[in-house]
Amino acid sequence: MFPQFGATAETLSKASSMVFRIGTDAHLYDDPEDVNIAPLLDSKFDSEKCEALKRLLALIAQGFDVSNFFPQVVKNVATQSLEVKKLVYLYLLHYAEKRPNEALLSINCFQKDLGDPNALVRAWALRAMAGIRLHVISSLVLVAVGKCARDPSVYVRKSAANALPKLYDLRLEEHTSAIEEIVGILLNDQSPGVVGAAAAAFASICPSNFSLIERNYRRLCEILPDVEEWGQIILIGILLRFVIARHGLVEESIMFSLHSTKSGESKKNGEATKISNKEDTGYASGNDDFGLGADVSGNIDLELAKMVSRCYIEGPDEYLSQLSYANTGPSELNVAQFTSGKRNDDVKILLQCTSPLLWSHNSAVVLAAAGVHWIMAPRENIKKIVKPLLFLLRSSNASKYVVLCNIQVFAKAMPSLFAPHFEDFFICSSDSYQIKTLKLEILSSIVTESTISFVFKEFQDYIRDPDRRFAADTVAAIGLCSQRLPDMATTCLEGLLALTRQEFLSSDFGSLDGEADVLIQAIMSIQSIIKQDPPSHEKVIIQLIRSLDSVKVPAARAIIIWMVGEYSSLGETIPRTLSTVLKYLAWHFTSEALETKLQILNSIVKVLLCAEGQDIQSFKRVLNYVLELAECDLNYDVRDRARFLRKILSSNLDSQGLEEETNILSPNKDLAYVLSGHIFGGQTKSSSPEPINYRFYLPGSLSQIVLHAAPGYEPLPKPCSLLQVDNVDQGTNGLERARNSDSFNTDETDSLSGSLDEEGASDYGSEHSISGSNVSGGSNETGSASEGDDNTDPLIQISDVGNAFENQHGVSHSGSADLGELISKRALESWLDDQPNSSNTSTSEQSQVRVSTARIFIGDIRHRVKTKSYTLLDPANGNGLKVDYSFSAEVSTISPHLVSVEVFFKNCSSEPMSDILLEDEESNKDSNSADQTLVATDSSLTSHNNVPILVPMEEITYLEPGQTAKRIIQVRFHHHLLPLKLALFYNGNNLPVKLRPDIGYFVKPLPMNIEAFTDKESRLPGMFEYVRSCTFTDHTGELNKDKGDNVVVKDNFLVICQCLALKMLGNANLFLVSVDMPVSTNLDDASGLRLRFSSEILSNSIPCLITITVEGKCNDPLQVSVKVNCEETVFGLNLLNRVVNFLAESSLVPL
Amino acid sequence: MLQCIFLLSDSGEVMLEKQLTGHRVDRSICDWFWGQAISQGDSFKLQPVIASSTHYLFQVVREGITFLACTQVEMPPLMAIEFLCRVADVLSDYLGGLNEDVIKDNFVIVYELLDEMIDNGFPLTTEPNILREMIAQPNIVSKMLSVVTGNSSNVSETLPGATASCVPWRTSDPKYANNEVYVDLVEEMDATINRDGALVKCEIYGEVQVNSHLSGLPDLTLSFANPSILDDVRFHPCVRFRPWESHQILSFVPPDGQFKLMSYRVKKLKSTPIYVKPQLTSDAGTCRVNVMVGIRNDPGKTIDSITVQFKLPPCILSADLTSNHGTVNILTNKTCSWSIGRIPKDKAPSMSGTFVLETGLERLHVFPTFQVSFRIMGVALSGLQIDKLDLKNLPNRPYKGFRALTRAGEFEVRS
Repeated sequence: MFPQFGATAETLSKASSMVFRIGTDAHLYDDPEDVNIAPLLDSKFDSEKCEALKRLLALIAQGFDVSNFFPQVVKNVATQSLEVKKLVYLYLLHYAEKRPNEALLSINCFQKDLGDPNALVRAWALRAMAGIRLHVISSLVLVAVGKCARDPSVYVRKSAANALPKLYDLRLEEHTSAIEEIVGILLNDQSPGVVGAAAAAFASICPSNFSLIERNYRRLCEILPDVEEWGQIILIGILLRFVIARHGLVEESIMFSLHSTKSGESKKNGEATKISNKEDTGYASGNDDFGLGADVSGNIDLELAKMVSRCYIEGPDEYLSQLSYANTGPSELNVAQFTSGKRNDDVKILLQCTSPLLWSHNSAVVLAAAGVHWIMAPRENIKKIVKPLLFLLRSSNASKYVVLCNIQVFAKAMPSLFAPHFEDFFICSSDSYQIKTLKLEILSSIVTESTISFVFKEFQDYIRDPDRRFAADTVAAIGLCSQRLPDMATTCLEGLLALTRQEFLSSDFGSLDGEADVLIQAIMSIQSIIKQDPPSHEKVIIQLIRSLDSVKVPAARAIIIWMVGEYSSLGETIPRTLSTVLKYLAWHFTSEALETKLQILNSIVKVLLCAEGQDIQSFKRVLNYVLELAECDLNYDVRDRARFLRKILSSNLDSQGLEEETNILSPNKDLAYVLSGHIFGGQTKSSSPEPINYRFYLPGSLSQIVLHAAPGYEPLPKPCSLLQVDNVDQGTNGLERARNSDSFNTDETDSLSGSLDEEGASDYGSEHSISGSNVSGGSNETGSASEGDDNTDPLIQISDVGNAFENQHGVSHSGSADLGELISKRALESWLDDQPNSSNTSTSEQSQVRVSTARIFIGDIRHRVKTKSYTLLDPANGNGLKVDYSFSAEVSTISPHLVSVEVFFKNCSSEPMSDILLEDEESNKDSNSADQTLVATDSSLTSHNNVPILVPMEEITYLEPGQTAKRIIQVRFHHHLLPLKLALFYNGNNLPVKLRPDIGYFVKPLPMNIEAFTDKESRLPGMFEYVRSCTFTDHTGELNKDKGDNVVVKDNFLVICQCLALKMLGNANLFLVSVDMPVSTNLDDASGLRLRFSSEILSNSIPCLITITVEGKCNDPLQVSVKVNCEETVFGLNLLNRVVNFLAESSLVPL
Repeated sequence: MLQCIFLLSDSGEVMLEKQLTGHRVDRSICDWFWGQAISQGDSFKLQPVIASSTHYLFQVVREGITFLACTQVEMPPLMAIEFLCRVADVLSDYLGGLNEDVIKDNFVIVYELLDEMIDNGFPLTTEPNILREMIAQPNIVSKMLSVVTGNSSNVSETLPGATASCVPWRTSDPKYANNEVYVDLVEEMDATINRDGALVKCEIYGEVQVNSHLSGLPDLTLSFANPSILDDVRFHPCVRFRPWESHQILSFVPPDGQFKLMSYRVKKLKSTPIYVKPQLTSDAGTCRVNVMVGIRNDPGKTIDSITVQFKLPPCILSADLTSNHGTVNILTNKTCSWSIGRIPKDKAPSMSGTFVLETGLERLHVFPTFQVSFRIMGVALSGLQIDKLDLKNLPNRPYKGFRALTRAGEFEVRS
């Protein structure tokens, strides 16, 4: 009864046991295979298909491979139900790459869906089509994306933008420019939603093609706040990169410290820091209760800031490697690469438009905007980012961590930024361990004299935290703080010592591992503080040494013992205690842990080497004793160390060591003495600040979190790299460059907008025609009227007004009221000598968008058509025989696969020629060498349907010098693009020649009237429609010529029409259906001129419709957009390319 | 860009996988992930960005469900995390909560939602209002319908109008018989009180939540009486930046239904409404605990749902706790929870008892942190006040309602 419960009682009980799950898809997930899926897929009910697909989806979710259902699923792609469609797409996208051949079966369906009036269906079809990622169909997808990029629906355009990276992923070198062009179109889109997606496409396809950004940088900045949040993240990054590449870094920004330290302009540097210091402290004391006025370390850490900026630009790996072999890498940056943030408008607008984004509710947007300000904003304005960044810490735990990682860098490079907000880094018990350590690190780098007391108070609480790992980190942080603020060292030491006293109480009982860590960390912190200024901390050292008895943790003991050796000669008290301490250590030696043993050996030697006076003897005895113990130790390391020491110190230890003796010993021993002195007695250098080898990546990047360059990480572009290219070019060939860029800018945008308009219109047209069944309605009568007028030979005949758009609405019968409007137009009057027999019917909406048009008849111009001829054989190559050919409009009667070609032979030599024959190369070979059967079979294979490749021509037996002969051959080309190899015989010679096909002649004229044309056109929407535009210039010569003659003033429009028509007919075998002419007040504006041609493909009689629409001024080069509607997608595309090529080709052949 | 999203149950089972790009991610990465999670314990589960040998993983854990996203290339990590959070929000909104069963039961909807929310690894539609129009929410009616007819489609047949409009967050042209709009101030108090009982940090994190049921395309203006107290703000995309910059006025076209208009922060508050005073004294292997709770600053409304929670330090063997008001529970994970409810008029609630320490330990050297939660209806403790709410573009006068609520956020008392 309920099929979805399955048949078995088991599943039924399962379902009933879970009342809540009734009506959900639970049973499908639990038992996806409890029914046979295959028959369900073939069911004719959508609900059953749906169930089957859900079961498949459940299997996918659970990680099973169900790709064997692929063929059956693909069949269902044609369904009308959107739910089934969605499920099919989900399945399809999961497996398409695995089953490319079957996936191809779905293409036709997608193409159909792309013409669907429902925008959702179009968008889904595009997403799925691009998502199946097959190389074979990439060109189809490209066309589809190009179309959808001009779709009226925002959602579809957005999908188109998202589809671009999918296309790009296929690595189609030949399409790169086309893809980038579409990115440009979409970046230019009016809707912010589309721009966001386009930005994402830009970032993954051509992140360095800044020319696309340059064109509409300002608009992008202004639209930024309205873009979707996800797009904002990407777009901010793109704009930042662009500004840096274009204008360089900002001299007021923190990045400038790089330059000021680098170039050694110490004065300027000093000034800069002074200024910033003043500002910083001013700000701080204004806002902060604790007043940072006296703070000296509040300014920017210049060294670090320099590193940060270099890392941002060069990438840390490159930068660090430079550091390793050359201390100062080549300074590529100079003053010219900086720009003023206050004067540069582009920088200003970027900062302006990103600052409201600091209020975004998406934390990624806030961080991206903060990154821009960090890099570009003048120093005094950077503080703007602080509060928003800190506010991010209140969002989810996961983002908290990422934000803190970024704040850490900011805080290190510019501690004053976050110093007043130290409270925000206090730790909550809910923080994860990673967050806690980050907060500690930030706290210790932003702490100041005035805030340290609060921080220490806080730290004291942390030390009692039950998480001992965290407590140990806190102790380490105390050490770091006191290193930053040497004045606080004593306070820190007291606290730490108190801690060690406390901790050994607990560690005495050896309770927890964690306690040991805390203790070790405390001793290490103490050690690091002492290192900074040993003499003043003598008492601390003594205290520590005294505590040796109670400290049980080996690592901690080892550090204290190290201090014994290191500071043995320090002050007055320590040397006096030494002998007791050493005896104590020797006494305990056997019970110590490994690291302590090694440290004891080292320390005793150190003490011995530094010792003076009577102590030496006792020290030597101690050492001897310890060495003996050590040589019997169980551990190899200890034994080896002991032997090494004994050998190297043999001079010192010998006998009961007479000092005079050692002094006059052999140089050999002396050397050992010096060596040992160097190894153990060397004074530690005063601790220089540790070399910084942090890695910095751009704020907000993944690499910054994982601390290595993730694949695809790009540092900032080289400052001013964009500008430099410009300069170089202008230097060399400035004029040409200028002209190029000029034409680039104007032409490009013109053609884009032009084609956009046109596309929009035709799109609407096709959609409407789908919905409105009656296509030819009112235009029938006008059509017949025009036919009637044909005979009365005026060259131009107004037969209909209104363009295809209106025709399809069938409005022409409704509009006689508008007659006056039409007549009043002077433009029309100049055209007409009789009454128009139809009326202008433009609706109000129409007249805004497009000018009215009149259909004209330009008479039979076929006789004026000149076909172009090509050279088959040059007389120079052919011993004086010249062979030309041209494609003929004649249609072969033998087979539809044959194309007629007229071949002209001319004897240019002085001697007569004989036996001229053109033959197929293959058959020629065949006859020559009969054994080449393989080739023969090949050729017979290719010439299927028993159509010969070449219908042999009649042999020219004799050709006098200067004589010409014409023959017609009929050729079957293998492919409409690849040349055909032929063999030319004459005078007994054999020459191979290549006959290049012309796709324009793979069609034959298909006579039809305009109604039939629009009807056919409307049936070929979506994927069957392709548009390209080009520039047409032929008419200009013609018009100029007329000007010169000034005899008969021809009409501009007519000249253009004729030029276009002749060009078309001269290059392709077409039928001119109609010419629509714009009727407007502006006589010079040819926009709206439209020619329609029809044809059918020779081989399979599939109709192929061509529409040409003109934009632009009569006397200028025209923008011509060519639209081809054809079911044979590949053929149509090739034909379109051919048409565009020959239209754009300027040939000023006189008529 | 993201390459794959996995949904893992709390036992590590992969419930769903959604491949996003051509570079598919094998689900063996989940095995690796779970292996790490087991071996490294909780700290791994809290790590949002993980670099495995083959992929970078982003994880967001919500109510036991792990949302795992993989990528191999550079991308803003916050984008991935924020997106996963958004997915979690949308799913729990759709399914009425998040758990293993509910995701498995509605896996088709989850797939459909994911498919709308992300395309080729880049977020596509994340606005809940639009999603709700594209994919129907499962409800009782649709469930019953599907049982009876065996057929129900939850996929919308047409594109929501909002995708094309200039206010993409708003359902196109909703109609209501009675127009009403409610504005709630929901505040959370974060406070830290240190060992000495001093208030280290006290601040308010607040949200302005709006529930709007308004017809047509209304234009709202909300202003505060004292906007200067706000330390920092974040806005829903519907808020226009300009009016806020110039006059600190919120001007917006609201989404339909419940949404978070704005969140804000008020720092440096001077006092808390209640006090919690823990005292721990340890001697000879036992530790006496005494915790007192009382009202410090009466906010004028009743404080209810007061609970005090703390984690017993690991070195405690056993605990014996009693209270004079409310109930004390010690949970299995060594968390002790004392729920008080309301503070009675006649006595101050207190909890006392003893801990037995580990053998060998004389005194307690680590101290627990007490987490306090409470709720106060009708008061915004930050002192933020709504001045007025103006509505334009509405046919008839709507009903306007205002409410306020404060509850404890990260309210911690150290001992």
